[in-house]
Amino acid sequence: MPTAEAIDLKNHPILITLQDTISGNGFLARITVAGRTLMRKEDDGKWWMYGVRPAAIAESGSTVDEAFLRFKQAHTYVLLDMVQESKSFDEFRTEVERFFNAKDVDEAAWEGALKAVRDGHAEPPEPFSKLPRQSPDSRPARIEVERLDGKITPFTVRDNATITYSIADKEAA
Amino acid sequence: MSASKDFANIQRMLTECLPGHSIRMTDHFRRKKFGDIIYPSFPKSKTVEVGHIRKLIRHFGIQECAAKHGLA
Repeated sequence: MPTAEAIDLKNHPILITLQDTISGNGFLARITVAGRTLMRKEDDGKWWMYGVRPAAIAESGSTVDEAFLRFKQAHTYVLLDMVQESKSFDEFRTEVERFFNAKDVDEAAWEGALKAVRDGHAEPPEPFSKLPRQSPDSRPARIEVERLDGKITPFTVRDNATITYSIADKEAA
Repeated sequence: MSASKDFANIQRMLTECLPGHSIRMTDHFRRKKFGDIIYPSFPKSKTVEVGHIRKLIRHFGIQECAAKHGLA
């Protein structure tokens, strides 16, 4: 049973990992994102995942999992729209990095939500209490846009990122 | 605020709160641009859920103006 303090924690600071391989005009690109989002249950009864890094994206679901999966899909669609309009890999990378690095007021809300968790003012309620925990200190927000065609170094399994989400907290328990 | 709004209402709000903004249809979304700020993931549907509207408003920093339209 969640405590009253837990219920008061409206914004949940989430860390996400996404990876897409996108084919463009004369190039193949792999985009790996270590991002941040805020998860909140809105008054429509749905869970909403609001982008922080990248910021300009939002998606919802009847469960936290569904919201994440729809967010991931929307992120892929944004990349597909961008590659459609990019004449070169460099142009695509510039657009994708600009999208990822554009901030809005949800950045401060994310920091506030993380502080609330870290200060112990509020324990994350379910389902967040069951999520893996990760420290954003050891996993800063970043994006990598790599060109894969013509790559000289061999591909390895280490190149694969597990697409997942976790709650931002102190170091993992 | 109800769960979704007609795009026409959102457009009225944007015309006042983001004068001179542009909208372009991409394969998947409505791409909105105002100055250097771009929101590339607004839904194309005739009605749009509140979460999308709230995020758009926060991204462009127009909460006060949007509130006058009952959209913040």
